[in-house]
Amino acid sequence: MALLGLAALGSIVLAVAVGSVYIPPGDILSVLASRLFGAALPEHIRAVVPAMVTDMRLPRVLLAFVTGAALAASGTVMQSVLQNPLASPFGLGVSSGAGLGAAVVIVTGLAAGAGRMFTLPAVSLLFALGTVFFVLWAAGHIDRSLGSVTIVLIGMVASLFFNAIMNMLATLSPLYAQRIDLWLLGSFSMREWSSVWVLLPVTALGLVYFQRYAREMDVMTFGQEQAQALGVDLRRCRTRLICAVAVLTGTAVSFVGVIGFVDLIAPHVVRRFFGASHRKTLPASALFGGAFMVLCDLAARTLTPPREIPIGSITALLGAPFFLYVYFSDRRRGRS
Amino acid sequence: MTLLQAEHLTCGYGGEPVVKDMSFSVEEGERLCILGPNGCGKTTLLRALAGLLPYGGTVTVCGTDEKRLTRRELSCRVGLMSQLSSVYFAYTVWETVRMGRYARQKRGLPDRDDDADRAAVRESLERTGLWPLRDRLITELSGGQLQRVFLARTFAQDPAVILLDEPTNHLDLKYQAELTESLRDWSVQGGRCVVGVFHDISLALSFADRALLMEDGRALVRGPADGLDRTALDRIYGMDVAGYMRDILKRWE
Repeated sequence: MALLGLAALGSIVLAVAVGSVYIPPGDILSVLASRLFGAALPEHIRAVVPAMVTDMRLPRVLLAFVTGAALAASGTVMQSVLQNPLASPFGLGVSSGAGLGAAVVIVTGLAAGAGRMFTLPAVSLLFALGTVFFVLWAAGHIDRSLGSVTIVLIGMVASLFFNAIMNMLATLSPLYAQRIDLWLLGSFSMREWSSVWVLLPVTALGLVYFQRYAREMDVMTFGQEQAQALGVDLRRCRTRLICAVAVLTGTAVSFVGVIGFVDLIAPHVVRRFFGASHRKTLPASALFGGAFMVLCDLAARTLTPPREIPIGSITALLGAPFFLYVYFSDRRRGRS
Repeated sequence: MTLLQAEHLTCGYGGEPVVKDMSFSVEEGERLCILGPNGCGKTTLLRALAGLLPYGGTVTVCGTDEKRLTRRELSCRVGLMSQLSSVYFAYTVWETVRMGRYARQKRGLPDRDDDADRAAVRESLERTGLWPLRDRLITELSGGQLQRVFLARTFAQDPAVILLDEPTNHLDLKYQAELTESLRDWSVQGGRCVVGVFHDISLALSFADRALLMEDGRALVRGPADGLDRTALDRIYGMDVAGYMRDILKRWE
């Protein structure tokens, strides 16, 4: 775990260092020491570098890390809660709800007024939460025991339904269709500290909350009946954890758009190295997801300068073969 | 001492009763097998006894009405072992058996085992012969070994009543014998009893000391497993059960 922590830290330093201008790690530390503790900057550091580190790269890299951690931990929780190794928070309708919210804001021009920076995230978060709560309500209404199949089915139906509305909005407003598409692809470009200050505490609290339910999640992976027979109040645990996942994923998605794959692959990769127990899997998947997202974002902004590749494409391009390798080599060894 | 008592128990699915007005009790040290043809309500009865299904009537466990117990309190008294199912997540044998302690541990953080937890897990592993396999992944085990892991987990739960829902299905003879032997050993230690649903009548009658015959959701006969009412058995299965068993045995002579 310490190694993974170091690797995560290394990925952050690397991502801050690499870009249109290379900034050596020593200079990054000097800039941080200067900003945090008022230490004098070495003379060889050019005047533009401090702003580049603290105002441009660091918030972007930290936002990528926190987003990756939030999505990966949420993916781990969903796979266990639904006893399905292919489950994902997006299957609950988080992304389609958030997407619809964002489309409404973009099309209606709500984001043009005062406080516009938070209007789009706030509305898309509200839509994302609304979608998940609807899914939970409908699933609970149909199936009192809140079975995982019911949740997955209702989540899928809700996702398709809200996606359809969003697509209609985009089609009927061709002027904004490209903006909606870009938002959906996700990006960490032009993000400021304010996004980090919102997402960081939400993610930290979410991770602690998940960790508190680590044992329940272990038991839930064996299915509804066994979990209940072992003493887990399944309906309550499921509802609480899914709500927490909705808040965490919804907040992340509302700030950076829909970035897939991290939530799916991170749990599988860390289980390979740390085993299935959530006591280790949860923090490990958060660290792995954070580091993976930082490296994907680094690739997104450095592979084809000055154009950026959508981050969602990079996570899928790198993640898909990596996931296949890990998943199938695991199966050959009897782990899954 | 009566450990489990059902009075006028009625339950089912979608408003249709499957188990109808059943009353019976299970005493300390008793191993009760529930027999009956497919669809007679055996598994539904077990699910209700385990508190997994809403029911009418009363189920009393160790002198307390089950409906007054929280899920965790109930799990400290009643353990359920189902038939072999797939596992998707690669926990070690130790981690899986440790989950049996969930209901007895404090919730939340920090997530630590105390000495009693570790001792219970170790004893359960030793009782089922799994101690040497404690670090193996459950996804790497055979069906028989996996079922023993689930039995060890139920032992670690330290309940007064173990409910078995066809636990020997899909297991070969050796594992069937091992499993029932472990359960027999466990049940004779004070304050415990076992209620099991088996498809294999021979296995059920060799394991249990008492039997309950069910027909169409109702208790037909209850009595010692050795002196089971053959006429009732033949009637509910619609065949000469003893004659069929004897025919099979002849092939071994």
